[in-house]
Order: sequence, then C-alpha cells, then structure tokens
Amino acid sequence: MQKRLPKFRSSLRSCDYACQFATNDSPVHRLGAGWKLLFGMVLSALAAGGRNPVTLSVLVAAALAYYLAARLTLADLWRDVRLFAYQAALVIPLYCLIDGVEKGLWPGVRISTQIVLFYLPGAVFLRTTRTSEAMAGLRRIIPYRLSFLVFVSVRFVPVFFSELEDIVALQRMRGARLSPREQLDPRNWPDLFNCLVLPLMVRALKTADEVSRSAEARGFGLYPQRTYLDTSRLAPGAPEGGARETEGQQRPLSAGNF
Amino acid sequence: MEQEKVFLWRRFTLREAVLLCFCATLIILTRAGLRLHLHMPGHVMFFTMFFFLLARGCVPRLGAATLVGLITSLASILLGMGSGGVITLVKFLLPALVVDLAGLIAPSFVTSLIACATVGVLASLLRAGTNTGVEWLLGIDEEIMLNKAVISAGLNGLWGGLGALAVPAIIRRLRKNGLIDQGASA
Repeated sequence: MQKRLPKFRSSLRSCDYACQFATNDSPVHRLGAGWKLLFGMVLSALAAGGRNPVTLSVLVAAALAYYLAARLTLADLWRDVRLFAYQAALVIPLYCLIDGVEKGLWPGVRISTQIVLFYLPGAVFLRTTRTSEAMAGLRRIIPYRLSFLVFVSVRFVPVFFSELEDIVALQRMRGARLSPREQLDPRNWPDLFNCLVLPLMVRALKTADEVSRSAEARGFGLYPQRTYLDTSRLAPGAPEGGARETEGQQRPLSAGNF
Repeated sequence: MEQEKVFLWRRFTLREAVLLCFCATLIILTRAGLRLHLHMPGHVMFFTMFFFLLARGCVPRLGAATLVGLITSLASILLGMGSGGVITLVKFLLPALVVDLAGLIAPSFVTSLIACATVGVLASLLRAGTNTGVEWLLGIDEEIMLNKAVISAGLNGLWGGLGALAVPAIIRRLRKNGLIDQGASA
C-alpha cells in the first residue's frame, strides 16, 4: 500500500481568516489565557497613551516581538491588520488634506499606528489560545451558571447552522425566495423572516425545552459549586487524580452535580 | 402544576436562560455568515438588534437582552470574532442595556413597530458611539472623528432600525401560537 506523504507548508500563510488559532509551539502559546489577556490589556492601554515617536517605536517593537514570539508569520500579521491598513490609507490622506502634508502626516501615521497597536494584542490572544483553554480560564472568572450558558451557546453553533441549512433547503423547495441573490432585493425580506427566522425560533424554543429538561433531570444547578471532567488529563501516565479539576470548595464528580 | 426553579440572577429559569443563550448563538451565526458575504458597515446591527429585541419579547423580564449581550460577547471572544477584547463586551452590552431600559419604561414595547424601530436605532447609535469612544481615547482629530462617527452612526442606526422592524410581527405570531408567554413584566 502506498504511504501517504506528509503535507508540507507551501506558503507563508498559516490560516484561512484573520485571528484564526495557529497551532504552533511557542512561549506565547504556553502562557496562560489570563496572563495573555492581562499583557494584552497593558499593551492596548500603553498604545492609547503613547503619543510621541519614541514611545510609539518602542511599542511597535514590543508588539512585533510579542507577535513573532508566537511564531506567527508576517503574512499572518498582514491578514490580522489588513482592515486597519485600509483604514490608515483613508485616515492619513484625510489628515494631510485638512492640515497639509507637513502638519498632517505625523498625526495620521500616529493614529493609524495606535489603532493597530490597540487591537494587535487581541489578535495574538485569539491566535494563540485554544477555545478550550479560553473556556477553562473563563470558568475561573465567571460563575459556572453563566459559563455553562456561554459553552452551550458555542456548542450549539454547528447545531443551529445545520438547522438553518435544512430549513433553507426545505423552504426553497416550497418556493421561498431565500437564495443570497434573491435576498439582495428587500422585497424578498419578508420570506427571510416568515420562512426562515420563524421556524428557526420555533426550533430554538423546542431545543431550549429539551436541553433544560435534560439538564434538570441530571440535577444540574442543584449546588452552588460544580466539578469538571478534564479529559485532557485522562491520558496514560497522568498524575493520579488529575482527571478531576477542583476549585475551592468543589464537590467530587457525580451525576448529582452535573 | 410544578413550578420551575429559578436558575440565574433570581429571575430566569433554566429554560429561559437556555433560550436566551440560543438567541446569542443565532447572533453569532448571523455575524459569521454576514462576515463571509457582506462588506457593508453597520450591517451586523441588523440581526443583532433583531435578536436582542426578540429575546426581550420571548423572555419579558428585565435583564434578558443584557444576558444575551453578555453571552454573545463572551462567545464571540472565545470563537475568535472579537479582537477588541474588552471593547467587544462594551459593544454588545451597551445596545442590550438600551433594550432592557426600554423594557423597564414600557414593558410591552416589543409589539409596537415604532417603539421597536426607535429602540433599534438608539441602541445601534450607541454601539457606533463605542468605536468613536475608542478613537477619542486614541486622540484622533475631532473633525475626522466626527465625520466618521456620523457616517458610522447613520449606517448602524439604519441597519439596527430595519432589523428591529421585523420583531413585532414575529413576536405576535409566536404568541398567537402559544409558543411564548402573552404577558409582559419588567
């Protein structure tokens, strides 16, 4: 049998869209989600305050070092800041037009740079933090009932996407004008609400009923604290008791406190 | 008949909370969909305002839209759709708070076309104001900032208002079929 050859990266591009998670092994990836958020907030705050060329140059160097330390490429950087580059292409000429090239060039460049620096740490966070890590971090900060709702919301995105596809296909067979081309005409918008959104809401109401009944049947929400099963720690050779992630006064894992 | 237990914030049952979190899911889905196909400023507000108001209509309690806004912002950050960090939270929470405030003043406003459109436009304007706030913090020239703010606010308001206009009809149909509660309480 012919062995499948490993795929090599054929371009500098490591992602399909801006801020997509990049699977690299870097110091930034290994940093905790909370630290990354804190570092990002500090960098963004400094970017908002930095007004002179020296401060901005230092901040640009720091932000670039942070970005490249995550083993992200310059192509990734372009993808993340492309929108702001277009904005800069508008802002700088506007400044030059109002104040003249001599007076307007620096403020235009400064503002454009500050905007990029303000948003870049957020891009690094999203590129270096897995959803599961962010979720684990999130449940340490917010109450578990709220984090449960956030996770349910994320978990049901593919479910509702599939529902959406099914409803669109069925309604189009019945003659509803739901194709993207037809929806460009505002006269077809009633079909969007009557034939797509309404059935989707009915489905959402029914699913909410099923999910809540199922969770309540498992005793969910009975206790003020809950435990979590961390499957990543179930690998062979994991330290004893590693499967149970305990926080403060949490109770042992049982069906009762799902 | 068995009374449902209160699950969150001393006002929402688990069923209501899950329904609100599904409204957040649908906002995320539409945001992702529109991100792929449309490149019009402010268009995100069309479905955002629609689902905020729909959430308020389906669960007529104070805090319903705020909960949807909170879940949407947190889920957006988790899914890589909110590079603004804390700004993402503010962007979703401010319009949601406007919806809840409107619900506090007029509990049954979701069935009125004019009230929905007004709230939709106001909430969208406030969201556009968040971006202006960031630019103000960064020290952008006032003239440029104001010009940009007017265009952004106009487009956001237009899309938000259009999205809000569709809500009363949907709420009425859902109520008529007994799928959601008839009453409206703050």
